[in-house]
Amino acid sequence: MHPTTLMYTSSLLLMFAVLLYPLLVTFTSLPLNNDWASSHAKTAVKSAFLISLAPLSLFLSTGMEAVTSSWTWMVTTTLDITLSFKFDHYSIIFIPIALYVTWSILEFATWYMHSDPLMNRFFKYLLTFLVAMLILVSANNLFQLFIGWEGVGIMSFLLIGWWHGRADANTAALQAVLYNRVGDIGLILGMAWLATNVNSWDIQQMFILSKNLDMTLPLLGLILAATGKSAQFGLHPWLPAAMEGPTPVSALLHSSTMVVAGIFLLIRMSPLMENNQTALTLCLCLGALTTMFTATCALTQNDIKKIVAFSTSSQLGLMMVTIGLNQPQLAFLHICTHAFFKAMLFLCSGSVIHSLNDEQDIRKMGGLHHLAPFTSSCLTVGSLALTGTPFLAGFFSKDAIIEALNTSHVNAWALTLTLIATSFTAIYSLRVIFFVTMGTPRFLPLSPINENNPAVINPLKRLAWGSIFGGLLVMLNINLFKTPVLTMPAELKLAALAVSILGLLTALELATLTSKQFKVTPLRTPHHFSTSLGFVPAIIHRQIPQLSLLLGQKIASQMVDQTWLEKTGPKAIANATTPLASATSNMQQGLIKTYLTLFLMTLVLVTLISTT
Amino acid sequence: MTPTHFTISSAFLLGMMGLAFHRTHLLSALLCLEAMMLALFIALSLWSLQLDATGCSTAPMLMLAFSACEASAGLALLVATARTHGTGHMQALNLLQC
Repeated sequence: MHPTTLMYTSSLLLMFAVLLYPLLVTFTSLPLNNDWASSHAKTAVKSAFLISLAPLSLFLSTGMEAVTSSWTWMVTTTLDITLSFKFDHYSIIFIPIALYVTWSILEFATWYMHSDPLMNRFFKYLLTFLVAMLILVSANNLFQLFIGWEGVGIMSFLLIGWWHGRADANTAALQAVLYNRVGDIGLILGMAWLATNVNSWDIQQMFILSKNLDMTLPLLGLILAATGKSAQFGLHPWLPAAMEGPTPVSALLHSSTMVVAGIFLLIRMSPLMENNQTALTLCLCLGALTTMFTATCALTQNDIKKIVAFSTSSQLGLMMVTIGLNQPQLAFLHICTHAFFKAMLFLCSGSVIHSLNDEQDIRKMGGLHHLAPFTSSCLTVGSLALTGTPFLAGFFSKDAIIEALNTSHVNAWALTLTLIATSFTAIYSLRVIFFVTMGTPRFLPLSPINENNPAVINPLKRLAWGSIFGGLLVMLNINLFKTPVLTMPAELKLAALAVSILGLLTALELATLTSKQFKVTPLRTPHHFSTSLGFVPAIIHRQIPQLSLLLGQKIASQMVDQTWLEKTGPKAIANATTPLASATSNMQQGLIKTYLTLFLMTLVLVTLISTT
Repeated sequence: MTPTHFTISSAFLLGMMGLAFHRTHLLSALLCLEAMMLALFIALSLWSLQLDATGCSTAPMLMLAFSACEASAGLALLVATARTHGTGHMQALNLLQC
């Protein structure tokens, strides 16, 4: 084996071993020591991160990619499934970033979940999730990817419903599972079509053999899978509801890693989509609709975690738009930079929430710039990176996406929606910063504001470095597959920056209105649309169950019980003959002996007459 | 008429006369009904033996099954009469009628 491939494969194997060892320890009956979470779990992830830097540096210096096929799992007459791993540009860069973010989140979680008696189980779930995510990212065939896909789905369910005594948390976990299941239908459709038509689930074989086939149906299936997993419009309500889970769960699963799995699937399968205009247009329009809708919903939310969740959803829509532009690598870049600043935003929210004694409403925060300066600075840095401030992390990916959008010959409606959503990003980011860090405090006086714990400071510091330099580092070290358009009119070049600044100024103006009464009667309709999340959960979550239950009632009670059994079946016979019987018995005089004697006489008479 | 034919016919006729001329209790009428059924059963059984026709061997069994239903219906009527009219006597049935 070539030494580079050997290095890649052995690093991945070592990473899996390092991450699985703490999990296997929990399955034996040895009691865990009190700081198992920080001594074993967090250290395992940190070591895995350091190990993953080796393939990364090798890739950066040689640019060599590898595919490893090892153990043959099953051999049927038409389909072979082996355990195969793909070390390409996408997985080698994503794995260290995911491990870096997870390391910071686990260290933060040792502080956040400190008072939870089941903290060790929490860390076990997070580690299981991480292993499933790595399986998904490094998979070279769809079967292995499906294993990782389902693994992250089930761990998401277990972690969202962590506080399962709370009914809302159970509902949210169920929502996550159901919406992901609808997406899984699409993935299984794609897999089945590919298995029957292209005869393989290996990525290399699929790409070669699908050159002349019409791939619309499996691509629609894969897009449905991405819609479910990455919360695009139509299957999006589970993502804001998933904020019922603890903040480390929201930071890891629902911002950096799990929700990008759908986009990652589309990025991996992008050679199949290059020539299919239907699929590309669908991605573009769906992504534009998602990013606009969720940015609108984020404008009027009052829960800090929900605002960040909708922000995640909006960025996922932006990634979908990028895939629709046939630029999968830019989408991947946005995944990488987004992981840094979104995880940091969630960790800052977690720090603020715990400091204010579990207060999540931004209307009851304020003035934290003086009381928790480090957290609010990180919040500001993260928000600036999110809005695409030049030369922070988000700028390199977001600006490249918007430039590609502006200079391409695609749907102008999608372009307009994306630009409006970009300005909305600035608006709700400023809203968060204004309500949380600026102004006067609106919380109770005896709040335990304390950010002096190194378990809080160090993760935030690391993610802040990532949010500032991450984009630059990634951009400097990769080769872009597609040449970007480098010359464009100045208005298009500055469009992203201009709409963001416009949004910022609008938000500043609106922020000053919080202490004045601008209109006697406010404009309620758009506010209601935005706060009620477009009425989508209210309608869909009630209408569909009501229709199902109504159908059940119609079939069971009305069709079977009332119609078939009563009106046309057994009871109908009884209901029809009872009036006849009572009429007959009313007519009878009851002279039975007379009747029978007459009968016998008649019979004898007839017999005698007929025989003579 | 062969002796067998005469015997069965007279048994049936006697049963029918008993059904028609019963005096007091409804139960005696039902017993005569059972006697008619018995005569018919023996007739059907002898039919296939006398005529060497094995095809109608199942007819007696079918008749038995249906007569069981009929006997149970008759007994139910007896019980209903006893419930509504107090006795099983025949003259109670038109006692309170105009």
